[in-house]
Formats: sequence, C-alpha cells, structure tokens
Amino acid sequence: MTVLQQGRAGSAGEAIDGITPQLVAEPTSGEACAAVLAAAAGGRVPTVIRGSGTKSGWGRPLDVVDLVVSTKSLNNLLVHRDGDLTVTVGAGLTLARLNTTLSARGQWLPVDSAFVGATIGGALATNDSGPLRQRFGTPRDLLIGITLALTDGRVVKSGGTVVKNVAGYDLGKLVTGSYGALAAIVDATFKLLPLPHASATLRAVYSDPEPLAADAAAISAGQFEPLAFDVRAADTADGLRWTLLVRFASSPAAVATQLDAARALVHGETTALREGLEARAWSEQVGHAWEGDATVVRCSWLPSRLGEVLALVRTLRAECGVTFTGRVGTGSGLLRLAGEDAAVEGAILRLRLDASPVGHVVVLRGSRALRSQVDVWGAAPSAPAAALKRALDPTGILNAGRGPL
Amino acid sequence: MTDRITEELRGICGASAVLTEPVQLLTYECDALPHLRESPAIVVLPNTAAQVQAVVRVCAREAVPFVARGHGTGLSGGALPVPGCVVISLARLNRVLDVDIPNRLVTVEPGVTNLEITRQVAPFGYYYAPDPSSQQVCSIGGNVAENSGGAHCLKYGFTVHHVVEVEAVLPDGSLARIGSRLADEPGPDVLGLLVGSEGTLAVVTKVVVRILRRPETVQTLLAAYDTISAAGTAVSEIIAAGIIPAAVEMMDALAIKAAEAAVHPNFPPADTILIVELDGPVPEVRELFATVEAICRRTGASTVEVAADEAHRLRIWKGRKAAFAAMGRVSPNYYVQDGVVPRTKLPEVLGRIRALSERSGLGIGNVFHAGDGNLHPLICYDESVPGQAALAEQVAGEILTYCVEAGGSITGEHGVGADKKDYMPRMFSEHDLDAFQQVRDAFDPQRICNPGKVLPTPRLCGEVPGPYREHPVERAGLAERF
Repeated sequence: MTVLQQGRAGSAGEAIDGITPQLVAEPTSGEACAAVLAAAAGGRVPTVIRGSGTKSGWGRPLDVVDLVVSTKSLNNLLVHRDGDLTVTVGAGLTLARLNTTLSARGQWLPVDSAFVGATIGGALATNDSGPLRQRFGTPRDLLIGITLALTDGRVVKSGGTVVKNVAGYDLGKLVTGSYGALAAIVDATFKLLPLPHASATLRAVYSDPEPLAADAAAISAGQFEPLAFDVRAADTADGLRWTLLVRFASSPAAVATQLDAARALVHGETTALREGLEARAWSEQVGHAWEGDATVVRCSWLPSRLGEVLALVRTLRAECGVTFTGRVGTGSGLLRLAGEDAAVEGAILRLRLDASPVGHVVVLRGSRALRSQVDVWGAAPSAPAAALKRALDPTGILNAGRGPL
Repeated sequence: MTDRITEELRGICGASAVLTEPVQLLTYECDALPHLRESPAIVVLPNTAAQVQAVVRVCAREAVPFVARGHGTGLSGGALPVPGCVVISLARLNRVLDVDIPNRLVTVEPGVTNLEITRQVAPFGYYYAPDPSSQQVCSIGGNVAENSGGAHCLKYGFTVHHVVEVEAVLPDGSLARIGSRLADEPGPDVLGLLVGSEGTLAVVTKVVVRILRRPETVQTLLAAYDTISAAGTAVSEIIAAGIIPAAVEMMDALAIKAAEAAVHPNFPPADTILIVELDGPVPEVRELFATVEAICRRTGASTVEVAADEAHRLRIWKGRKAAFAAMGRVSPNYYVQDGVVPRTKLPEVLGRIRALSERSGLGIGNVFHAGDGNLHPLICYDESVPGQAALAEQVAGEILTYCVEAGGSITGEHGVGADKKDYMPRMFSEHDLDAFQQVRDAFDPQRICNPGKVLPTPRLCGEVPGPYREHPVERAGLAERF
C-alpha cells in the first residue's frame, strides 16, 4: 500500500490519546499531504491529523491509531502582509511563535489558547478560544482564507488574502470545529489586529455567586467594551471562591476611565491589575480548567442565565470537586470535575438534563473509561454536517470513530 | 409548469399567493441588476415557514428548480430566475419573532428589513451592526445569502459575524436548525458555510442575529486631498498607528461632483475626499480622533472638517451614501463594480483604473471602503451611443482582473450571483471550483436550489472548463472575454 511507503512507524511522542500510532506521515507540502490522504482513503486506513497534539486526547477513545498525518513540517509563516494586517501561515506553526513574530510589528492574532505549543491548524480544527473571544470572536471570525488537502488527493483553496471577500463558498469556516474530520488544513490566512496601546484588568472577588452575577449583568448592560470578561469559581479549602475579571484595552486614558467606571458598579473586593500582574492573572485564568488531570467539560449558556449556571456549579460541588471558568459575554465555559468516574458521570448527566441552564455539554478531557461510558459530544451530527462528511470524506477515514462527525 | 403542480402550490400557499400571469411575473424577472432578466414559471408568496417547506418539497419531488428571493435589492443577479423555475418570495415572512435584550439576540423572519432590526432595539440602546447601503429596504434573508457588509464592516465584520442561528429549508424539503443561540456547538461550522452561499444551499426561514450596544460616542471627520495617493497614505498611517476606525471611506473627483449635484453635502473642493469615523468609549475616541486628525493634516489634507454635531455627521454620510445613485446626475448610465484589493495596493490599482478610464474614454468614479480595500468603481456610459454599454461591461471586467492580479477578490460584498460566475476561474482553480460543487451537491444533489449562480455553468459550446486561459486573440489585445 502506497501509504505504508510514505509513512514511518510512530513514536510515543506522537501518541493520540495515549496510543502510539502505527504509522506517521509528515508531509512537507499541501500536495504531499493530499497524496497521503488519498492513499489512506484508497486503503481505507483510519487517519488522525495531528498538530502539536495538545488536544489530541479530545473525542471518543480509540483502541488503535492506524495513521497519523502530522502537520509538523507545514510550519512556515508564509506571508505577513503587515500593511494589510493579514498573515498566511502553515497549519503546523504554533500560535505562540506566530504571535512572537507579529508582536515585533505591533500586531497579533488574538487567539488565547490554553495550550502552549498549540498549532494554528489545531486551533482552527477545534475552534479553540480563550477570554479574548469577548472582543475578537473565535478563530473562525478571524479566518479569511484557507488551503485544504482533501481525501481525494486534491489541494483546494477557499477565501483569499483580503479581509473582505464573498467569492465562493467559505470552506474555511466549514472546517473550523470539524476536528480534522472533513479535510486537512494546509495553511490559513487571518486578519490581524493592532496590539492594544494599554490594558488593565479589574478583578473582583466574592464569597457568593449571586452578587457576582448581578455585577456581571450591570457591566454587560453598560457601555463598556471589554477585551475580556470572565468569571471563575475556584475550589479552595474554604469552599468555592468566586472571581470576576474584566479587562479593558485601549488608549491609556480610556482604560483608566473604563476601569474606574466598572469598579464603581461592582460589589466584590476589587483589585486593579496591570502589566505583569495582569498577564499572570489571565494566564492563570486560561490554564485554570486544565490544571491536573481531572475531567474537563465544556458547556455554554445564554448570558442572562449566568446566575443559574453559577448556582449549578455550587450544586455540583456536592457530588465532585468542581472548578469553573467562563466567558460572561459569550456564555461559554469549562468545568473541571474531579472525583470517581461515577460521580463525574453523574455530574455530566445532570448538566445534560433538559432543565439544565447549560447546553452543548462536551467532554473534552476525561479518562478513557469515562469517555467510553458517556457520550463525549452529546449530540449526533446534523443532517447537513453528515452530508458534508460523506461528500468530503466518502470513505470515512478522517478522525474515524472519534467524532464529532 | 404543469397545471397539477400549480394547483398543488395554490393548495399550499392559497390562490392569491401564487402568481402565474406574465404581467405579475414581470417584477420577479430580475433583482437590482436589471440587465440580467429571465421570467420564472411561477412565483409563490408563502406566509409561513411551513408553506416554504411544502413548496420546496413539491419542487424536490418534481425536480423543479426554485429561486428564493428577499426584497430584490441584490446587485449580482443572485435572485435571477432560471427558465421554468419557481420563485419563492419571502416578502411575507416579515415578522419580528423575538427581541431578547439581556442576551442581545433578535429573532426575525427573512423578509424583515435590515434596518427594522435596529429600529426594534434602538429604544434599548442597541443596534444591528451590518449596514449595507440598501439597509432601509434589503431583507435580512438576503443579507444572510450574500453575507452583506456595509461601511462599518472594517471594525464590526459582516453578516456572518452577527448571525448565530438560522432555520432553513434544505433542498430536499427538510427543515433544519443550523447554528445555535448558545456558543460552541460541537461540529463543523455549517452556519459559516451557509451565510454567503447566495441562496444555493438552502432557503432560510428564520434568522437569529446578535445586536450590539450602541457605542458611547461616534466621531466623524472629512479630509480633502489634492491627490488620491495622499489620501491613501493617510489611510495607511491611520492603520499603522494601531487604529481600527469604524469606517474609512474615499470618494474621488467624479464621485464628489455627482454627490454635490444630487444632495449638496457641501463638500470642500477636492480631488479626493476621505471620511474617517471612530466609535467607542468617549475617552478612547477623543484620544484616537486627535491622532487621526493629526495624520490627515500631516499627509497634506487641504481641509479637515470635523463633524460638530449629529446633523453635520449625517450630512457627510448623506454625501457618501448618495454617491451611487448620484452618478445618474453626471452620466446617463453607469455600471457599479465591486472588487477588492489589499489595502496597500489601493494606489496602484486606482492608478490602473484611471489609466483605463483615459484609454477607454469612459468616466470612472470611485467610491470605496478604503479601510478594507473594497472598491466600487462607477463606470459611466451612454447606452444611446452604440457599443458603449458593451464597452462599459468590458471595462468593469478589466477592473476585476486588476483586483485579482493585486491579490484581491472579484467581489467584496455584492456576491458572485449570475453576474460574476464566469469570473470565478480567475480566482479559483478547477480543483477549487470542483470542491465548491461537491459541497453544493451535498446539500442539493438534484441541483435545483438557485441554479446558475456562484459557479460557472458547464460549458456547452466546446469551451474548456477550468482556470482562465488567455486566448491568442486576447493576448494580441484584439479582444477581451467577459
């Protein structure tokens, strides 16, 4: 089989969900990547696409990983058009490296992944995001063009390199959130933003969730334009500790004015964070859910129901250890659930009850046993998504058995 | 259309909601691109999503093509009928279903106008951001189909950034919810594909949009320049200063002349006018606006006029927004083109357009969204002069070539529709177009949903499909193909 000739044996460092792949292919071009996929499709070899592997444990567990297509060698920063505020990058380039380069020109791709080493391709495939989505949305909102390798061996483009463009179907948006189940991302073009001139964060700490939810609603209703707007429930020895974080970024004067105005509205114990302290607070916030190895569940809610969500978090604590980080404005968050699988499973089922204030409950990280036991994705693909899967991956090799397609 | 099908459609929508008389069908022959016309076999005006679904089911069963239509303001022939088709007008699905201020969501039927959404939420201090020039009359369903933008999309994005969920009838007649009011629905972003698919993948029957809090303040200035390149430099410097204005618009001498003749905005004498608008919190806007003003003066603006109040601001915008229609004051006919170039290539491409204007003898006015490089050249011609209409179309096509050569796009906001489908091979390879067709077939294997749009139709006259290839006659400069 051709694909066997193109691949090499996988190593432990290339594991998917803890399983060493039998074969790894590391194409160095879009064409080579498409050729590998075509060979895999021809031989009906289940295939997982891998960037840095920071999220490769997400999805339903597999017993065997046949072929991994690594984007490691598709890691060039292809073109930075700084005057146009756009960049084209290989899928295997890491977000961190890209942003280091861009910052030298006062620009950034405002996607704050929790994972050091996360690649552009992986961020798109999972539509990963962090607190910055309050202002900038998720990677799909910043994406303006894409190159894909398809399972029929072709390399195709969609979109372009200009920020405004409605020619043709937007296949870039289509593959965001597809977890590599439709095609392999070869490169992507994004619009960029200027780095903010100044930034500061208001932190307010509460002993109960009710005043936090009320304060969050007050800020939401005001004419603030926060860069990030988050909530956290940390499990401490003294019980849950509730924190509200609002970050403003703008001109120095505007930041100071907004911060003062927000401080006047909130009732928690407040601190203004700047520079190093601010950076550390957000880095903690982004990484909070992922500390240790407990189960991590993603969910979302209508922003007006934040109070109910926080009450639910408090209820869950009776069943298992729980911490929570969430985006106030977009109504999305992560729950870290610690305890026996049965208790965690009970908590997940509770989150999925019809009367629950949260929806789209997805188990991102969890033991293999748990992920075999519960429905990881919580929903079957929609009819159009399933039809698109059949069209683009007719032999069903991509991310086979792992979902969400 | 057989009598049997017509009767069935009357049974679904009611006799008065099914049009078959040629005189009644006239209105539906074209959208706002009137040179493309085709009479549909029948027009239905359903009143509910269930009726839309029942109509599509009949079409699917009978393999009859159908074309969804909003308010017919499209500029690319996206709602152009095909022979023997059913036009599904969504004009009667015009109810605002839900206004949810705490969650900043508004649910509407597709026939609701863009501006109506803002009208509904303005009393609460909110607005719907995408603002195409036709916002008073264009439908939100059409906006979803075309992924409409507007003057403010540099900062706020397009329709795709503001629609969170739709209900749609798929070409097989099934009803689907696509997208979600809640964030992070697992799975591929099918909604992102559907928005901007020009009515070729589904018929949208309900739309949930996100509204935004009205910014605390809006500040607008107008700067007059002697040359377009100086104005272009100002735009580059504003962006380089880390400022993303809400809008950056430019008008050249011919467009200024037309606007003055039509709505008398009292623009200062200039070769080029630059309009910059900033919005946001008061201290931010105050500080950044001072920077913008300084840049305008430094780059040689002869006049910098800051809107002193809302009336002044509206007068500036009136001049800008009237520029299209105003072309009629300076030319008997004109052709509106829509193309995009990378912002840094604006001076180069505008230079080429100017040279083209001189070479062809046709006046070309330029009104454009300078912040995102979206050009709207207005090509003036006189259809009473033999050959001028064809020449104008050729010139319009030539401009698209400049856009693609500069790394841009053949359309920034008007869509491909029926008008530009044959230009698609200039931007996309045969493989790209095949992939688009595969995606389309996944939704519509019978190819009955708005056929003849977006993708070049299979050539029937021996023309080779695939990327644009220059014919020897073209290469010799003897002819051009459009």
